[in-house]
Amino acid sequence: MSGSGGADRKSKKGNRAQVWEEAGGEFYQESYPGATTSTSNENADTADAAAHRDAAAHLATMLPSKQAQHTMGKATTRRSRNEGKQSTRKRTGNRSRFNTVRRESNINDVHVSVLPDFAVENIPNEERTWEEIMQIKAMPVNMAQKRELKAKLKSATKLRLQGFEQLKWQRRKFWQRCKSNWKEFYTKLELWQGSLKTIEGNFGIGVVSYFLFVKWLMFLNIIIFALTFFLIVLPSAILEPGQLGQCDPAAEDENNTSIACCADKYQEYTSSNNNFFYDLVQGTGWMEKTLLFYGYYTNDIYTLNKEYKLFYDLPFAYLVTALLYFLVSLIAIVKSAARGFRERIIEGEGQFYQYCNLIFGGWDFCIDKLKGAENKHKAIYNEIKGCLEAERLETEKQNRSKKEKCQLLFSRSMVNTGIIVLLLVSMVTIYLVFTLSRSLLREYQKAEKHFLLFFEFMPSLMIVSLNLLLPLLFSFLVTFERYSPIVVVRITLLRTIFLRLSSLGVLGASIYRLVSCDRKNGCNCEEEVPLCWETYVGQQFYKLAVTNALTGIAVTFFVNFPRAMLAKHFENCRFLKFIGEQQFELPNHVLDVVYSQTLCWIGSFYSPLLPAFAVIHCFLTFYVKKFACLINSRPPSQVYRTSRSNYMFMAVLLISFVAAAIAVGYSLAEVKPSRACGPFKGDEPVWNTVKLSFAKLPSWIQGFAFFLGTAGFTMPTIVILLLALYYYNAVTAANRQMVLVLRRQLVLEGHDKQFLLSRLSTIIKQQQQERLKNAIPPPPSEFDTLLPPPPPEVMNSS
Amino acid sequence: MGQGSSQFSEEELQDYQDLTYFTKKEVLKAHQKFKALAPEKVGHNRNAKLPMSKIMSCTELRVNPFNDRICKVFSSSRDGDCTFEDFLDMMSVFSEAAPLTVKAEYAFRIFDFDGDDMLGVEDLQQVIERLTGPQHLSDVDTKQLIQNLLEEADLDDDGSLSYAEFEHIISKSPDFTSTFRIRL
Repeated sequence: MSGSGGADRKSKKGNRAQVWEEAGGEFYQESYPGATTSTSNENADTADAAAHRDAAAHLATMLPSKQAQHTMGKATTRRSRNEGKQSTRKRTGNRSRFNTVRRESNINDVHVSVLPDFAVENIPNEERTWEEIMQIKAMPVNMAQKRELKAKLKSATKLRLQGFEQLKWQRRKFWQRCKSNWKEFYTKLELWQGSLKTIEGNFGIGVVSYFLFVKWLMFLNIIIFALTFFLIVLPSAILEPGQLGQCDPAAEDENNTSIACCADKYQEYTSSNNNFFYDLVQGTGWMEKTLLFYGYYTNDIYTLNKEYKLFYDLPFAYLVTALLYFLVSLIAIVKSAARGFRERIIEGEGQFYQYCNLIFGGWDFCIDKLKGAENKHKAIYNEIKGCLEAERLETEKQNRSKKEKCQLLFSRSMVNTGIIVLLLVSMVTIYLVFTLSRSLLREYQKAEKHFLLFFEFMPSLMIVSLNLLLPLLFSFLVTFERYSPIVVVRITLLRTIFLRLSSLGVLGASIYRLVSCDRKNGCNCEEEVPLCWETYVGQQFYKLAVTNALTGIAVTFFVNFPRAMLAKHFENCRFLKFIGEQQFELPNHVLDVVYSQTLCWIGSFYSPLLPAFAVIHCFLTFYVKKFACLINSRPPSQVYRTSRSNYMFMAVLLISFVAAAIAVGYSLAEVKPSRACGPFKGDEPVWNTVKLSFAKLPSWIQGFAFFLGTAGFTMPTIVILLLALYYYNAVTAANRQMVLVLRRQLVLEGHDKQFLLSRLSTIIKQQQQERLKNAIPPPPSEFDTLLPPPPPEVMNSS
Repeated sequence: MGQGSSQFSEEELQDYQDLTYFTKKEVLKAHQKFKALAPEKVGHNRNAKLPMSKIMSCTELRVNPFNDRICKVFSSSRDGDCTFEDFLDMMSVFSEAAPLTVKAEYAFRIFDFDGDDMLGVEDLQQVIERLTGPQHLSDVDTKQLIQNLLEEADLDDDGSLSYAEFEHIISKSPDFTSTFRIRL
């Protein structure tokens, strides 16, 4: 970002030089008084030069553009009156934006401009007056004047609206009032307002944006939970299950067991006696038969009403719900990301005003604690230094010697190789631990319960500990690569995302390997393979989610809290301070939250009640992170810009979403569901249900869908889209060029103005001096008012 | 809350709601805050004029480096002492509902230390000083920073920022709307 800013600045400088040449350099450089004044600035500041500058400045205040800034109301009220006829509702919104004329308070002008204009066409109607009253709040004057304005407008003569117009206006007023009532009601309900204000007061807006993200995720999870609950869980719980086919052992032979018999076998398996608590935590035994897991749901088509032939196709509903919640999440993410994206790309037009943004948008006006303010001062100071440093680094980078470049390249490739090796090792470890845990469970089936519990949780514990430890290694290794701070944050974030997603991927792949085998006969591949693998997957994700949540809470309270206490109480000991001091690093906390959200997305297909767990987890996370932020950590030493943070959150969330969608999509399309349980009992992948239901639709819909897929439709569509893309690209490039041309013109005009002002003041001075020399009484001339009275030295010298 | 509403008539509350970006409840909340600064004085006259030092001691403005400028800009008597209506104006501009143009207008006035309708080099120097607080940037750094600022923002190359230029860069600064905000 600083690089592009620097490049732009340099090109601006180059453009200015071009401007000189284009404008006929010799003429300007000879007679531009700015040149003479600048040379005289280098020498002693003579009174002459100072007076010259003062005169020019005095003249400048009389320019029409400056005069226009000092009148109030004339531009606005008169303009709004005359526009009364044609202005529509849309224009009222834009009107304030076009008023770049600034208004100083001048109450006489108000009186004059607001007096009613008695020409019939100009008498406003009630609606116009009401609109104008609504616009008074945008005027930069104090309250007393606003009230007077409002009173004047109210008491001015106005036409009453008739009939339909009256109705429309009443409806608008009513709608406006409803909106403000709703806003009042909503702010009363807003969750966690007090906590957000405390965090804001201490740390500023950047950190608050993280907590707003957690809140947003919680609401998203509530929507997902509502979807799964009302579409899947509730019908399954309420409606009468249909009749399952009976298992007739005599008709079966060894090699071909039917679905019904498999289902019976599975029921036996889950009824085995196990300890209540262990089953609760692991999700086995009695838990498998609850609504929590996929295995409970049947592939029935529930009959709602026999007469009207209403059916509720549960498998179809199950699939549609999964698609729906992915779609809803995608829309929510894209909407949220697009807002920030639009602001960054379109309004920036490729140029980001880095320094202006830093200085004018730098101070968080919502900070109200002294400590927070001190930290903010330090953070701004650091950021300014950082930006200036980065600029110098840019120039230094270009001057780096070949040897240094080679060294840097070497160290960077070493670090990258090391990190890839680490990632591979961790993935292999997870796979090994997974197989180990299964073999241990098989061997020690009769062992003590807590050993079994430990074996069950081994994969989850492994994944969670790797997630905790490896990022520390990453941040240690990245120091050898000597990137700029922004790049360091981004690269570490990318690597950690990759680590977390790959660990999930390995888990999924190991389960896939376990489950996908040729089911020649019988209910499952081999003896050890679970009868109902979807529930098994659901259990794994359930265990992982629980472990993740508990570890997060444990680490915050039992590891980081003592560390913070140590650092606070033993301020003199440097070693303790080194271990103890923590910062509220936004990227890591974002990853925590996004990771649990990914688990929710993948796991929800196999465990429909998992979103409820995610909602509770988000709710608790808010308080846990608040504790970590306010009590455990020092305030962050770098400024977190809200715009940049939001962009980062959404980007990370989108990457995880894509990974989750791919995982679930693959399992839907390719993997054979189990025969013993679930809504998709059978031998065909889940996607076939969609194909079957699609085949049931009327033929014209099918025909239409097929048409959309043919080449005759897609090819022209692609060509048209490409053309549109090219067109918009060309328009953008042309606009950018136009902006450059206009900027150059502005600079030229500015120089023109300064030149003319200087010349004018020189000429007037000359005139005055001549008049004084000839001792002629000065004729009343308009120029007298233009210059300040001459300083006394001039009189004495003549 | 009942006490507050008895002080203002319905018509006045409606006026305040129409003329600021607040709802009636928020107007009363602002009045409560104002009253907390000087309960006796405001109890006698609900639109009492409080001295600048009192206003600057309220929680929202206490640690703000621009608190004296804010008081001066919003004070109707231009000397920093604010009545309740000035305070209400102030909080309304800083609220979330106020549009960018209004905020930019007042931000310009706040940053314009010498009041000449332009943000010159001295104004920018003062702004930077106040922002960095107890840490002082070296002269070289300050000069470099001001030069960068003017390169980015000064479109007609006259050495200072006019309001039009300021509004232009504010509309391109994504952080301004979120930072230029005070929550009551």
